[in-house]
Amino acid sequence: MNTLGHGFWWCVAAFCIVWYSTVTIWVAVKGATDIRAMLARLARSGPGRERER
Amino acid sequence: MSHFDPWIDGSIVGVYLLVTLIAGVAVRRYVGKVEDYLVAGREMDVHLGIASLAATEFGIVTCMYTAQAGYTKGFVGAVPGILQAVAMLVIGLTGFCITPLRRAGVMTIPELFQKQFGPRVRAAAGVVVLLGGLLNMGLYLRIGGEFLSTVVGFDPGWLEWVMTGLLVLVLVYTVLGGMLSVLVTDFLQFVVMSAGLLVVTFLIVGDVGWGKLVETVETHHGAGGFDPLADGGPGWSFLLFQSCLQVAATLTWQPVIARLLAAKDERVGRRIYVRTSAFFAARFVIPGLWGIAALAMVTPTELALLPSGADPSLSAMPLYLSKLLPVGVLGLLVAAMLAADMSTDSSYMLTWSSVIYNDLVAPFRKSTWSEKRGLFWNRTIVVWIGVFLLFFGLWYPLEGDLWTYFSVTGTIYLSSVSVLLVACCYWKRANSWGAAAAIFFGAAFPLATLILPHVDPEQRFVLTRLGDHWNGFLAYVLAAVGMVVGSLLKPVRKAAA
Repeated sequence: MNTLGHGFWWCVAAFCIVWYSTVTIWVAVKGATDIRAMLARLARSGPGRERER
Repeated sequence: MSHFDPWIDGSIVGVYLLVTLIAGVAVRRYVGKVEDYLVAGREMDVHLGIASLAATEFGIVTCMYTAQAGYTKGFVGAVPGILQAVAMLVIGLTGFCITPLRRAGVMTIPELFQKQFGPRVRAAAGVVVLLGGLLNMGLYLRIGGEFLSTVVGFDPGWLEWVMTGLLVLVLVYTVLGGMLSVLVTDFLQFVVMSAGLLVVTFLIVGDVGWGKLVETVETHHGAGGFDPLADGGPGWSFLLFQSCLQVAATLTWQPVIARLLAAKDERVGRRIYVRTSAFFAARFVIPGLWGIAALAMVTPTELALLPSGADPSLSAMPLYLSKLLPVGVLGLLVAAMLAADMSTDSSYMLTWSSVIYNDLVAPFRKSTWSEKRGLFWNRTIVVWIGVFLLFFGLWYPLEGDLWTYFSVTGTIYLSSVSVLLVACCYWKRANSWGAAAAIFFGAAFPLATLILPHVDPEQRFVLTRLGDHWNGFLAYVLAAVGMVVGSLLKPVRKAAA
């Protein structure tokens, strides 16, 4: 097998690991904000929610 | 022998399970309507969408079949992931099909079909979606249990009880909170799962080294381990089938589409697609490296010690991890894998129940139901799907490799529903005859692939000889041809004067 094939898979693997590491940190921080905002919007809308408590 | 320490690793797992259960149950009070239960009131934003989509589409079973693909095919095993990443990126950037789908304000894909193809096609599409989805999901529990039993080192005789306990835990919060609980727990599970996957990957690459991974693929698979079209590679049939499958899955795989439909608007939905696209490559590449590492490091003597009937290509990876990882990291890995599995199980149970309720129950009710009654039926259906999973997963005998099984069962509906979706969005002439033909041909070929090897072991029929990949590809081609020919054959009704 030529080294071109090795190089391609090295680039794919490195990209996946670097991208995944970055996104994990970014989503961990911003996702928590999304959850708070989503629950706040749901709490404001719809008067019938208390029934499910 | 596993290094799993019941006190240190067990505590990490226990804390994770407790926090997940509390978070999942806590949000149930926000569920007031069926729409809240099935699509989280359509209030999901981008980052939560990325976490939820990634967590849903990576379970223990994903880790097992992608590692098996790495073990049996080398780097080429990751090709389906790269194809799906490209499909997600292109569809997210262009909005192809997903923009009109989100604008329609539906809760499931078959619901969209009713307007153009009528209620019968909606119900028929619901049936094939359910058939493909449940057959696909049926093996998740067993495969997850086999991974845990090897890594943790518990007696395989306990597998059924451990997985039953895990399923009950997932059912509790899914039944109570629906999509809201799924989203919140998905977020926690994404963080735990990603931390575990990354730490383990760094340890594996550090242990084996990139050079040895490449050398192992060269030794066992030759050029075909790097290039799917080289000698010894899976060839054109694999590439064509996987290309169709990944585009169709991106457009119509209901657990993926459920995130689009739960998004705040179509713009958020498209951004989730674009920003999650690379994950679909990572979910094949990272465990694929684990599988290649297992091929390099697990000796034939160690494989011989596996329980009788265990598939070495499937069990080698967890066996390698149980040897490599130290106390503490093993707990993190088990928590990560449980997180991956629970997020997948909860999302999938909710997804398939939404199809049963929305497309097979609700259209046929004689009177309007209250939100309370609708919620009751949704919750009941989720429980029944849980019961199905428990029993189907325990008795279905799996033969061949996992990814092929999932590709074939998924194709039962992906082939036809993707054709129906494209036609529904962009071809005004498409009609119920074409839709019926697409559903028939799309389901017939993959079902034949599952059944024929049992009734035709001597391969007398052409379809049996064609094999899984060509049959799968033909399902997509014939579903499209069926749609075009059927639609053109149906007489066009002239508009009333």
